[in-house]
Amino acid sequence: MSGQSYAGPPADPTTATPVPATTGRQPGVSRRSVLRGAAGAGAAGLAAAAVAGTAGPVLAAATSASPRRQAARTANEPAVAGPVVVHVRDARSGEMDVFAGTSHTRLRDPDLASRLARAAR
Amino acid sequence: MSSHREAPEISKDPVADSTDVYAFVSPDRPDSVTLISNYIPLQGPAGGPNFYEFGDDVRYEIQVDNDGDGRADVTYQFRFETRLRDRDTFLYNTGPIEALNSPNWNSRQFYTVTRAANDDVKVLASDLACPPCNIGPLSTPNYASLASAAVHDLPGGIRVFAGQRAEGFYVDLGSIFDLLDLRPLEQLHNQFGMNVFTKPAPGVNATAAVNVHSIAIQVPTSQLTRRGSHGAGEQASVIGVWATASRQRVRLWDADHGENVSSGPFRQVSRLGNPLVNEVVIPLGDKDLWNSLPPSDDKRFVSHFARPEVSALLPALYPGVFPNLAALVKSGAARADLEAILLTGIPSGIVPGFQNFTGPVLADMLRLNTAIPPSAKPNELGVIGGDLAGFPNGRRVFDDVVTVELRAFAGATYPLVNKSFTPDAAVGAVTDGLTASSVPSGFLSTFPYLGVPYSGFDVPS
Repeated sequence: MSGQSYAGPPADPTTATPVPATTGRQPGVSRRSVLRGAAGAGAAGLAAAAVAGTAGPVLAAATSASPRRQAARTANEPAVAGPVVVHVRDARSGEMDVFAGTSHTRLRDPDLASRLARAAR
Repeated sequence: MSSHREAPEISKDPVADSTDVYAFVSPDRPDSVTLISNYIPLQGPAGGPNFYEFGDDVRYEIQVDNDGDGRADVTYQFRFETRLRDRDTFLYNTGPIEALNSPNWNSRQFYTVTRAANDDVKVLASDLACPPCNIGPLSTPNYASLASAAVHDLPGGIRVFAGQRAEGFYVDLGSIFDLLDLRPLEQLHNQFGMNVFTKPAPGVNATAAVNVHSIAIQVPTSQLTRRGSHGAGEQASVIGVWATASRQRVRLWDADHGENVSSGPFRQVSRLGNPLVNEVVIPLGDKDLWNSLPPSDDKRFVSHFARPEVSALLPALYPGVFPNLAALVKSGAARADLEAILLTGIPSGIVPGFQNFTGPVLADMLRLNTAIPPSAKPNELGVIGGDLAGFPNGRRVFDDVVTVELRAFAGATYPLVNKSFTPDAAVGAVTDGLTASSVPSGFLSTFPYLGVPYSGFDVPS
C-alpha cells in the first residue's frame, strides 16, 4: 500500500483492479448551501447539490437506516471535499442517488425527497 | 480514425477520448515493454491561448491483462493537476520557455503515476512535470530538448512521459469517410454512378499536421507478465493491453464560480485496445456502451466481428473487384480469422513461429507476445508482412494498421482458418495509400518514440 490512502474495492464494476480513490484537485466551492432544483416539484429527476459544510443533515437523514455506521462516519471521517449531489430519481417513491467524493449511495426516503422537491420550487 | 471521435458521446469529450494505443517490446531496451495511450485528438498546433492539456478531472489508465480473462491485472493510473503561476494574464507563457521550471511558463501540468496490481497499490511518483505544448520559436525554442527533459526515470526501471506529441497514426480520413473511397483504387469504386474518379490517386494523410497528447510508460517486462520468464511459444508470455478514461458520475456547472465540479464514483467513458474496433466494427447504436465496458464483456459484440460491416461494404462499393469476398460474405460464414486476431489472439500453429493467444475469453485487447524480440528490419505491415514483432503482435508507433486491417477485412487473413479460401487478387492492393513516411514529424528511435509535435508557428492551420 506504500502509505497512500486506498478506497478498497473499486466502485466502478468495469474496473477489475482496485485503484486508489484519487480525487485530484477539487475546484473551490462556496461554503453555503447551493441546493438547486433541476425539475419541478414532485417530478422524477430532481437533482440537488450541497457542499460539504451543509451536507451533514442530508446525509444523516439519508442514512438513517444505518445509524451506527453513520455515527462512526461522523466521528472518524473528515467532511467530504467537494459537492454532495442528490439526484432524486423518483420523487413519489423517494428513490434517490447521493454522490459525495468518489462514493455513490442509493437511498429510498420519500420524506426527504418530498422536502427536496419543496425546496426546489 | 483509429479511435478518434469514434463514438457519439466521447466525440463531445476530447479530453477523455482515447485515440490510439501502442504496446511493443522496446527496440532500444528489449527487456522492457513500452505502453502508449493517446488522448485529445486532432489538435490544431496553433490552438491557443489555452493550449491543449490533460483533464484534471479525468482518470487515465493503461490496463494490462496477463492471465487471459479480459480483466486488468496491472493498471497504471495517471492523474493530472494544472497549476497557474499568474491568474492575471491571458498568456500561456510570458516569455520563452527554456526549461520545465521556467518562470515564464504560466499554465503548467503535473501528474501522479500509480500502479495497481491486484491488492498492491503503489504511487510510483508524484509532481512529474509535463512539457508545454509546442507553440513556436519564440515561446518554445529548442522544443525537442525541452520535451526530453519531461522524460522521467522512476525507481524500478520505469520511464514515463506525458505530454504533447505529433500524431503518428496516418490515415486518409478524407477519402475513407467519403463512402469508403480508397484513392489508390477509387476508379474502381461504384461512385454511385457519378463517375467522379477516372484514375488512381495517392493517399492524403489527414493527420499530417495535428498533434495528440500521449501518456507513455516503459516498464521492465517482468513487471507486466506473470511471474517467471516465458518462451515465445507460451501463453504466459502474452499480455493484453488497453487504455481507458474515466470520469466521475456527476459533473455540475458551479455558476457562482464559473467552473465544473465533480462528484461520485468514476465510470469508464472511453476504451481502446485494437485500432479501429470501436471505429468501424462496433455499430453506432452500441459504441457508447462499448466504451463503458471492460474487454471481458466483449462476447456480446462478437457478431460484429464475425460478420463485419466493412467486409460486406467492400464488394458492394467496388463491384467485381472482390468476388471471392462477396461469396464469403454471402455464405454467412463467421470470420474466425478476425475473431482470433482481435478477440483471442492467434494460437500456435497458424502463423509459423508465432502466437499471441490469451485463451478462449473473447476480449478486444492489443495482444503482445513479449518474448518475441524487436525486429532488426521492421516491416510496417507487421505479421502479414512477415515481421512477427509488429501488429497484431502489439502495435508499434509506425505500424500501418489501416492497411493491415483493411486487407484483413477484405479476406487476406481468412485462409488462416479456411485454407480452401483464395483471397481476391485485389486484396494485395487494398490500402489508403499511406505509409509511415507520410508522417512529416517522423518517429523517434528512443522513448517516447512518437515524434516532436508540430508547432503552432510552423503549422498555423
